Amino acid sequence: MTGPLLSVRDLRKVFNAQAGFGRPSAGVRAVDGISFDVEPGETLALVGESGCGKSTLGRLILQLIPASGGQVMFEGVDLVHLGTRPLREMRRRMQMVFQDPFGSLSPRRSVADIVAEPIDSFGLAPSRKARREMVADLLHQVGLPSSVMDRYPRQFSGGQRQRIGIARAIAAGPSFIVADEPVSALDVSVQAQVINLMQDLQESRGLTYLFIAHDLAVVRHIATRVAVMYLGRIVEIGPKARVYAAPHHPYTQALLSAAPNPDPDIPKRQIILTGDVPSPSNAPSGCAFHTRCPIAQARCRMEAPELRPVGGGHQAACHFATDHPIPVPS
Amino acid sequence: MTAAVEDRPLLRVDRLSVEFGGPAARLRVVDEVSFDIEAGETVGLVGESGSGKSITALSILRLVPEPPSHLAGGRVLLDGVDLTTLPRDQLPDIRGRDIAMIFQEPMSSLNPVQRIGDQVAEAILLHQKLDAASRRARVLDLLRLVGIPDPSRRIDAYPHQFSGGMRQRVMIAMALACNPRLLIADEPTTALDVTIQAQVLALLRDLKTEFGTAILLITHDLGVVAESCQRVVVMYAGRVVESGPVRAIFRNPSHPYTRALLQSIPRLDEERRRLHQIPGNVPPPGPLRAGCAFHTRCAERLLRCATDRPPMMQLGGGHQAACWLAGPMAQAPMAQAVTP
Amino acid sequence: MSAVTERLDLLAPEPSRLAIVRMVILNRPSTIAAVCLILVFVAIATAAPLIAPYDPLAQSYIKINQSPSWEHWLGTDQFGRDVLSRMIYGSRNSLIIGVLAPLVAAIIGTTLGVVAGFFGGIIDRVISRLVDLLISFPELLLAIIIAAALGGGFWNIVIVLAAAFVPNFARVARAQTMAVRAEPYVEAAVASGVTQLRIIMRHIIPNIAAPIVVLMTLWTASAIRLEASLSFLGLGTQAPQPSWGNIIRDGLNNLFGSPWPVIGAGLAITSVVLAFNLLGDTIRDVLDPETSP
Repeated sequence: MTGPLLSVRDLRKVFNAQAGFGRPSAGVRAVDGISFDVEPGETLALVGESGCGKSTLGRLILQLIPASGGQVMFEGVDLVHLGTRPLREMRRRMQMVFQDPFGSLSPRRSVADIVAEPIDSFGLAPSRKARREMVADLLHQVGLPSSVMDRYPRQFSGGQRQRIGIARAIAAGPSFIVADEPVSALDVSVQAQVINLMQDLQESRGLTYLFIAHDLAVVRHIATRVAVMYLGRIVEIGPKARVYAAPHHPYTQALLSAAPNPDPDIPKRQIILTGDVPSPSNAPSGCAFHTRCPIAQARCRMEAPELRPVGGGHQAACHFATDHPIPVPS
Repeated sequence: MTAAVEDRPLLRVDRLSVEFGGPAARLRVVDEVSFDIEAGETVGLVGESGSGKSITALSILRLVPEPPSHLAGGRVLLDGVDLTTLPRDQLPDIRGRDIAMIFQEPMSSLNPVQRIGDQVAEAILLHQKLDAASRRARVLDLLRLVGIPDPSRRIDAYPHQFSGGMRQRVMIAMALACNPRLLIADEPTTALDVTIQAQVLALLRDLKTEFGTAILLITHDLGVVAESCQRVVVMYAGRVVESGPVRAIFRNPSHPYTRALLQSIPRLDEERRRLHQIPGNVPPPGPLRAGCAFHTRCAERLLRCATDRPPMMQLGGGHQAACWLAGPMAQAPMAQAVTP
Repeated sequence: MSAVTERLDLLAPEPSRLAIVRMVILNRPSTIAAVCLILVFVAIATAAPLIAPYDPLAQSYIKINQSPSWEHWLGTDQFGRDVLSRMIYGSRNSLIIGVLAPLVAAIIGTTLGVVAGFFGGIIDRVISRLVDLLISFPELLLAIIIAAALGGGFWNIVIVLAAAFVPNFARVARAQTMAVRAEPYVEAAVASGVTQLRIIMRHIIPNIAAPIVVLMTLWTASAIRLEASLSFLGLGTQAPQPSWGNIIRDGLNNLFGSPWPVIGAGLAITSVVLAFNLLGDTIRDVLDPETSP
């Protein structure tokens, strides 16, 4: 069967703010009707600023939090409507790498126990000896010597912990990994190690990544395709080269132009957005970006634009998307 | 004419060393760090976590608690006055009036139960005697200056009603309250989103051009440095490994660490198939080390790098690097920087 | 894997659990004293038949209310029973109840708390209201009410005290469980496909064990105190069985004739309670991964 590995359709998540006496308030639409596909072997990067819903989306896809509506088809199975037991079985095939290299490893468990967690959950090791060998092999794959097996997380640096987290994620042999800001908590000189490791593993194990990040330079390096999120929606999605060379949505343009470039000779042609990201609990009408958009018009306040193709598998959700592709300075 | 005065930088950090812990386990966190800041310029202090950049900055204002830390040597000269020997009771005059500081976390730097306007007014009150009406007018000016929309309404708001970017603007307004000559900004945009970061950096640039405030910008982000600074000081494991004009650092990095760092970061403007990676980790703080602090991770190390501490090699145009391989080997090292 | 060289020589060697325990204890002389005292009491309770000079139940009308003497170190009570022997045997009741009641309470309370904290929702609401109801009574009052309904006797005291303690354990366990449940490593475990039961057993319980164990030692002290109080009120250990509480009660009848039974039993209660409190503090520090060296 060929086709997308993952198909997300109209996925929604509404967080109900606690309003006393069991009466839910209006609710925060953290993820607001998102649809996209992920092809086997590719890296789809999800970028956006804090509060845009990208981490929530990653967790919804893995069903770590229940969806409020929509579909997540993974390897042909709709995860949203799956029972607890079959869903747990599916976790063998999809795993997660977390942002926080300190919090995501239990301080009371040895490296071997942490890495073997999926092995134990799915009973993949026939014996204790086989389990140790599997852990040693996994550690080796992430560039750690097997001698660290009986140590505890607190003895490791951020980068080493992130390697341990990656070893755990690949332990059950998944085809798909959601990586939630896996390098943003790491030092600059260690980021490259982890990025390279993730790329090596993708090649050697044929992994598919959903890579959640806010650093556009990291995304440019690792992604095959890029999806830009703003206030719970995807505003632009397309092949990396096209999105970076010719961003169609004014938000993408602003984001790219705001990202600092480590080169003093690049002229600053910044589009500086005014104002803050509106709170998702009080999202603007129409196009959610219209309050900060430099080209907003009356129509944008009334009518929410849908994603529409702008050529080459590239889509943007802007009423004026085709009218103003501005190339970023290169 | 007073040539001596013109030569004198606004701030000179001269072989500053800071240690933590007692004599049993002494950790050298800042190790003979030297750099100058001229009036009106923006200097970037770059380094990873554990490089000692924040402790260096805090030590300038003697804001590091003693103990556990103590000054292990060196001077900090503001207009030729050594701040390290200044009596403690004179420090509050310097803080805020001559040197102001803003921090990474605008959330926790503001008092949650006090109105924004009152907090800014307090900063003014410390150094200027103004009556209530003109103080409020000054607060409004400052809030307008840092780009807070509708300041006459926002002046009576509380910090929780402000977003992270707005809080950082308030912090900047407080720092500017007394027209300081030097603003120390410790990772001012790290907690902010890119589009908000761009706003805050633009604000800092405007302030510099408008008021001639010198800025010491502490950051781990080389992109921020390239965009905002005239000169750069690169720190690694408590030491300055390279410093110089921003273009020299980015075009002609002369310390292997700077070079590796620049090669290891993904770029927005070019495709790199594989990132260069620096092996190993940033060393944790330890006792005073022999040799070059980077030699354990350096691809170009010589035998002597493990034993002899490299002096600052002068590379011309104010560019210098602490590496035995930097510049022509024949070049004599700067006499004063040679380790005893 | 290419070019990946991790410098692991920078890692400190892992100190063994035992080494940490040794270090923490050696740094606190008071803990050593507390442990020694508890051990002495445990030894006395265990070896009671061997070291007690008399049968604690043997009455003698010719020896009523005697003051301390070489024959009876703490004198005798109004039935002519040897007070020292009664105290030695009484330590059995006090210590066993002191350990058993908090243990039972910890097992029940932790289970309730973990279930409430982990699953949340309606389960949490039901358990929490129940716990709130119980906790609004002071332990002693609750114990008296239940004891009055059930009557005295060893097992009834254990049940009474355990019931009185359950809400405390449930509350702490629930709060701790909710905190641990929000930890990224628990989410990581869910993402790894770990079952809920396994997450509770492997991630939640070990991480909430420290406060529970501390609570147990602290409530051990309270259990000994409350058992004495109940016995003092006549609701606890039933005559003629000895316990520290009813020794004090009996001793009060002749307080001015011979204060030694009251003083002796009072001292025993105070010192054991103090020792368990000290031990509790130390255990908390040993079990906390953040404070252990």
